Amino acid sequence: MQDFGSIAPSIFILIKIAVWIFLFTYVLFSGVVIKQVRVMTQTLEVGFEKPIKLIALVHFIVSLTVFILALIIL
Amino acid sequence: MPDVFVSKEKTKSSKPKSIITKPKGPERHNLPGHTHNPLAAFCYYPDYVKFVSEDPEEKVVLLLRRHPITNVKWILPAFLMVLAPSFFPVILPYDLLPAGFRIIFPLVWYLITSAFILEEFLSWFFHVNIVTDERIVEVDFFNLVSREITDANIDQIQDVTPRVVGAVRTFFNFGDVVIQTAAAVPLINFEAVPNPDKVARILRESRIEEEQEKLEGRVR
Repeated sequence: MQDFGSIAPSIFILIKIAVWIFLFTYVLFSGVVIKQVRVMTQTLEVGFEKPIKLIALVHFIVSLTVFILALIIL
Repeated sequence: MPDVFVSKEKTKSSKPKSIITKPKGPERHNLPGHTHNPLAAFCYYPDYVKFVSEDPEEKVVLLLRRHPITNVKWILPAFLMVLAPSFFPVILPYDLLPAGFRIIFPLVWYLITSAFILEEFLSWFFHVNIVTDERIVEVDFFNLVSREITDANIDQIQDVTPRVVGAVRTFFNFGDVVIQTAAAVPLINFEAVPNPDKVARILRESRIEEEQEKLEGRVR
C-alpha cells in the first residue's frame, strides 16, 4: 500500500504546520502555567510548593522538547 | 468593740477557661484531625500554612479542601485519556501515516492529557477554605488566571449550616458548610468539605471564644 505522504503531500504539509502552531502555542501555555503556579504558591503556602513548581517546570521542558522534536522529525 | 461582720476572704476569681485549648508546639500532633499530609482535605491545626493577607499573630485552626472523592470526575477521564493512544492503531489509519506523525501524535495527546490533569489538580489543591482564630477565608482559583479571596471575621458569623445531601456524600461523610455572615459577602460556602459537622462545631467554638475575648478585652 502506498504511503499517504506520496499521494497527498499538501495535506500533510498543512497538518505539519498545524501541529507546529499547536505545539508552539502549547509551549507558551506551559510557560503561563509556570507563572500562575508561582502566583498560586505566593497566595497560599502549605509546604508543598517545591514539588508543584518542579512539576510545572518539567511540564514546560517536556512541551519544549516535543515542539523541537516535531520540528525535526515532521 | 467586737466586729459585727467579718467578710470571708475573697478568693481570686479564676478566669473562665478557654473553650478552645490552643495547642502549643508538638501538642497539635496528637489532636484528632491533625495530619502532616500537605495534600489532606481536612487538617486541624496544620503544621504550616501561610496565605496572602494573613495577620502575623493569626493562627490557622483548620485547613479544608474539597473531599478527594470529588476528584473522581476528572481522574476517570484522565485515566481513559492515558490509555487512549493504545487504541490509535485500531481507530486511525495508523499504518498509512508517515513515521514522524506516528511518533508525534501520541506525544501531543499526552501533552493535552497532562495539561488537563495539571489544571484539575491545581484547581483542587489551591481551592482551600481556612479557619483561623480571627476569621474564615476562602481562596478560590477558578482557573489558572482567575483568583478570588473571600474572608469574614469570626464575630460576623451569624449562622453555620452543615449540609450533607446524597448517598455518596453520606457514605464518605463530606458536604457543604453554609456560613451566613454580616460581612460584605453575606454567604460563604465551604463546598464538599470532609466532616462538615466537625467544621460547624469548630466554627461554633471559635465564635464562643471570640465573644469571650471581647468580654475580657483581649480583642486584637
